[in-house]
Amino acid sequence: MYDIKPLEAEWKRYRKQRQKPWYIGGFIFLILAIVGITFFGNVNINMETFNRYFNTIKNNALPIVKEVKSNVLLDDALETLEIEKPIAIETVEKEPESSNVETVDEKESKSSNILVDIPILENVKQPVNEKLPVDRKKKVHIEIIETSSVTAYKDVEKRFLQSHDIDDSLFLAKSYYKKGYYKKAEYWALETNKIDENIEDSLLIFVKSKAKLGHKNEAISILTKYISKSNSQEAKNILFKIKNDTL
Amino acid sequence: MKSRFTAAKNVFIDSIDIDDYIELSSAVTAYQQLEHSIEKPLKMILLFGRPGTGKSILLNRIQNRLKHQKEIHYFDTPTSSEKEFYYKLFKVLTQKELPSNTEINFSALIEFCQNLRGKREVVILLDEAQMYGTEMMEKIRLLSDTRAVKFIVSLHKTEDEDLIAKEHFQSRIWEVIELKNATKEDQTAYVHKKLLKKNLFEVANSIKAKDMKYIHHFTKGNYRECNKLLFTIFEICEYYDRNEPSKVNYSHIPNKIIEMAALKLGYINV
Repeated sequence: MYDIKPLEAEWKRYRKQRQKPWYIGGFIFLILAIVGITFFGNVNINMETFNRYFNTIKNNALPIVKEVKSNVLLDDALETLEIEKPIAIETVEKEPESSNVETVDEKESKSSNILVDIPILENVKQPVNEKLPVDRKKKVHIEIIETSSVTAYKDVEKRFLQSHDIDDSLFLAKSYYKKGYYKKAEYWALETNKIDENIEDSLLIFVKSKAKLGHKNEAISILTKYISKSNSQEAKNILFKIKNDTL
Repeated sequence: MKSRFTAAKNVFIDSIDIDDYIELSSAVTAYQQLEHSIEKPLKMILLFGRPGTGKSILLNRIQNRLKHQKEIHYFDTPTSSEKEFYYKLFKVLTQKELPSNTEINFSALIEFCQNLRGKREVVILLDEAQMYGTEMMEKIRLLSDTRAVKFIVSLHKTEDEDLIAKEHFQSRIWEVIELKNATKEDQTAYVHKKLLKKNLFEVANSIKAKDMKYIHHFTKGNYRECNKLLFTIFEICEYYDRNEPSKVNYSHIPNKIIEMAALKLGYINV
């Protein structure tokens, strides 16, 4: 009879030796996979960072206050936001009414500030539809630079889908309108109006967007109906501008 | 208590016992070829192949099958001296013992064989012929030239032995039969048939196609190596069966045991 124990020990050594290439192969594969994921996963972010960095230097060396990183892929339409000049808005709530009627050209003239505050779910001064199960939390302002706001807007959109907070939707409507993305502005104004139909801002952005998109008659019709109900002076001004093509 | 693996182990003890002969398709072909060659008016027939390809058992089988029809004789181990070979040959040809204190005159032997031509045909199966010297082989060739004695020469196939074949016999009328290592299918049939012949059904069933693939990989289809490996495998199984039964799987032979046997026999090294 064989002395089995030494043979078993030899077999264990053999098994280890035989499995070694598999372990090495697996390890190499893992490393390659990690490197691959890291490299390809960060290409967009890195490019964005570089672009932002160089654009910022170009635009009178405006300071980068805070970088907002995200892996969310850029929306084609929003990508162009990166090359536009930054706009300063302290808060959405404090934003002057007149800013709602700014055109892209006007907006471009106000490019000295680079910070945008995005309201986050709290202390909203505007009336909120009480039916909505929205948690009111501490007020947080995310300061972002305009060039990186694309992803920030995406974040706000995502947040809105969960919270249905009119601050967010109204913010998006106003912002997109200012950027000249009237279709998006119209959409977000409508979303705001669905939640709370008493917010005049949402209606005004909606009709202004309609008018900008070429649906002038529709815009006039909606505004006329609204004015008959509310007698809003702001609505009248906008109606006048639409009719005279001075919007 | 006797382990089932003890019987299985004994099945693979290497022997050329004719009772252990396994009919395989490749072996049947070689057998028929050899039998057919014996019928031809050939002086010499070369049977060659690597060690362990079944040459000896094939010669044994053909001798066993034809012994009642022909004068067929099997010379298993090469004789150590020329004299001894002549004694054996004398006995075969004359069917008498060589008287004591006498020697064989080769010329007289040739003459005797020439006289036998047309009257008798003696077939001599020379196993392990690579062990005969060159001079001896030359004399065998001369004896075959008498056409009264037909030699079937079994050689190991190595480079040197190929040389022997080329130098001494290629000019003669030859029929060459080569035995090759078994295919995986043949080897599987060989192992299973061997076990089934001894009614070891469960053990035969425990050797799966995957195991046979592994066994064939180690033995390269060589029957002798296969016998050795399986003997060792069952010996290890027998040990576990008796001492550590938890390590034995009766439904199939674990790879571990096959590898341990391969390590033991030096097919693999750490």
